[in-house]
Amino acid sequence: MIDIQLIEECKHGNFNNFRKFVELSSPFAYSVAFRMLGDEDEAKDVVQQTMVTIWQKLKKIKTAEVYKTWMYRIVVNKCYDEMRKRKRNPEFVTDEQTWQLISNRISESPSSALENTETSKIIRLLTEKLSIKQKAVFVLSELEGMSNDEISGITGISKSAVKANLYHARKTISQMVEKYL
Amino acid sequence: MMKTENEKYDSVLNLLQKSKPLLDSTGEIEIEVIRRVRKLNHSGVNLSEVIDFLFSWVYIGWVRRSLITASMALVLIFVYQQGVILKRIEVLSRQTVIFDKEKAMSSSSSDGIDRLLTLYKNSGHRFPSKYITISESQMKELQESLKEMQIKYKDLENLIESDPELKKLIEKKLMENNFTKFNL
Repeated sequence: MIDIQLIEECKHGNFNNFRKFVELSSPFAYSVAFRMLGDEDEAKDVVQQTMVTIWQKLKKIKTAEVYKTWMYRIVVNKCYDEMRKRKRNPEFVTDEQTWQLISNRISESPSSALENTETSKIIRLLTEKLSIKQKAVFVLSELEGMSNDEISGITGISKSAVKANLYHARKTISQMVEKYL
Repeated sequence: MMKTENEKYDSVLNLLQKSKPLLDSTGEIEIEVIRRVRKLNHSGVNLSEVIDFLFSWVYIGWVRRSLITASMALVLIFVYQQGVILKRIEVLSRQTVIFDKEKAMSSSSSDGIDRLLTLYKNSGHRFPSKYITISESQMKELQESLKEMQIKYKDLENLIESDPELKKLIEKKLMENNFTKFNL
């Protein structure tokens, strides 16, 4: 994703290097933010906030590996904040049309990739009943394909808690899928 | 064919995994991030430079350790001083109680009634006599001193009667002052 040389160059305060850094890092941050929040604008805002935070604390980064975990941790924490804000103003989700959309798409063979708006609707619907942590673990594990160790490092929760959260997330979504599809 | 719960879950998951969110343009994000960073730098550089210039010495290891030691010593001294002050206050408050007790005890002693009467006399009878409360022992003391005084008065009368010259002298003095009796 990012090599340490680019990070070192950014540390000297060069905006052109940092622009490249943002260009390379943003898609990864956006993927997690979008899948967690299910909203393009909110996800973009989270990515921007994340990049600004990274710029402020760039000097602390020692290796590219540490950077990866660290960037995802910032993204996840910012998504937590957004979701907490949203909890105070819950939105109405239209279920039936979305279930129909899922049904249509999985019946296609081979199924084509979803558009962002469709993905957004489906993720919101499926993760509606999950807690914030369950949602984060589900996205990082099932959709981003990260290991439990990586998720533990990013979210700051123990490996056993990661497993438990993932189990509950899978169970809740499976029950919903079984009920409506 | 009916799909099982797991198969349905897997197919939904597969659909979502395949649909990687697409960031239409990173340019927009880049511009906004650079704008925010520049703004941050403009507003923050001078202040952070000043702060760094003034307080960067606190990041030196031995200075930090010394500051921590000094602050801990100050806290300990403060706690010790508070302890001493509290102890002194306790001693002082105890002394006040003893003083009050002494006063209370002295007012009930044998010469208490004298003090009360002197006070009453010296005040020019300004405070009503009903506010003077005396105990039973003080009442007895008063009666005894009255009896003693009556005996002394009788002795004095006898002494005057037995000496005609003294009687004449006293009568003369009383006439001069328009008194019928000596003002004791």
